[in-house]
Amino acid sequence: MKKHTIRQAAERCSFFITVLLTTLTLAACASAPLPPTESLNMASDAIANAEQAQARRYAGAELEEANRYLENANKAVEAEKMSEADRLAKQARVAAELAMARTEVAKAAAINREMGRSAKALDEELQRQGDQQ
Amino acid sequence: MKILSFLKPVSHKKITIALVLSSALLAACAMSTTSPDGSEDVRGKLVALQQNPDMRTHARVELRDAEAAVLLAEQPLGSGEVALADYRIYMADRMVEIARAKGQTRLLEAERVQLSEQRDAARLAARTREANQARADAKSARSSQQNAAALSAREAEEMQQQIDDLEAKATERGLVLTLGDVLFATGSAELQGGTNQNLEKLVNFLKQYPDRQSLIEGHTDNVGSAIFNETLSRQRAESVRRFLINRGVDSGRLSVSGYGFERPVASNDSAMGRQQNRRVEVIIENRQ
Repeated sequence: MKKHTIRQAAERCSFFITVLLTTLTLAACASAPLPPTESLNMASDAIANAEQAQARRYAGAELEEANRYLENANKAVEAEKMSEADRLAKQARVAAELAMARTEVAKAAAINREMGRSAKALDEELQRQGDQQ
Repeated sequence: MKILSFLKPVSHKKITIALVLSSALLAACAMSTTSPDGSEDVRGKLVALQQNPDMRTHARVELRDAEAAVLLAEQPLGSGEVALADYRIYMADRMVEIARAKGQTRLLEAERVQLSEQRDAARLAARTREANQARADAKSARSSQQNAAALSAREAEEMQQQIDDLEAKATERGLVLTLGDVLFATGSAELQGGTNQNLEKLVNFLKQYPDRQSLIEGHTDNVGSAIFNETLSRQRAESVRRFLINRGVDSGRLSVSGYGFERPVASNDSAMGRQQNRRVEVIIENRQ
């Protein structure tokens, strides 16, 4: 009877250990960091958009910065520092967006300069015509 | 006394623990009132943009997003979260810059509308000027046309006046001026001395219209032989031609013929008819 009780206790103990281990393993699995895929994708898209808009020509430094952040984000993913990777990816995205915005400013300014020049030329032309009359 | 006796049992150990806890809490409090370093710079940039009316107009949404990012960057963080603070400041700074850039772009676009309006205005002014010029040209053309018409009307009037003065007759051959036989002595081809008003008018007329050719024709009555009359008529026409040449009319414009009594204008039966037939006609041809 006594023997039986000891055995029962041992069995119960091993059951608890198993449950505990399983729980721990599951918990470890659940907290295993996932790469910030969404942030990384958004950063890549933003960089691609900026490149499409000729940001390399109009806002090269900003585009360079975005690329650097994205690179670092990928390195952080490899090092499994996922929250750092997420931040770096978001920085890459915002840098690419700034590159895009500055590219647009440069383009808009170029168009305005051209318009101003042609308006001035037209004015001068009219002035000449006016003088001739 | 009662209160004191209530406090008394508190041990030194407990007081120490309370002190440590409260100082820890105070420290936490102190930490929570400070924004991370660098957030003031971003706030300053944002405020500058917010105070710019152009930016307020053209980057409203972006400024609001930047404001949210700056507020987050200003959130106090623990001393162990420098990386997070830097990250938030970076994000806020870039969002402020994005707001600035977008505002600038939209401002430029708004200016573009103005520029093209200016250009349109300049073009319109040019067209108006051209149209005015064209109108003025047309007007002056019209008035010069009117002038020309008036001029030619006046000329025609003058000419008519002269023709009337000459007592010439307009025929399909031209103006026919009849010089009566009073110019000549009977049987003579020489012009009578002195001036003849009709001849003077003829000279003036020919000088005024130098592009007209003239034909001088001599005619007689039927008294005498045909040959005599033809010669006489021719000689009388020649006399008139000489007179005109002497008065400065170009000889090339004047041709002469003698018809004798071939072309009477009246009956040779009466003295009056014969007198009418003795004549020199000057035909001033119509302008070609």
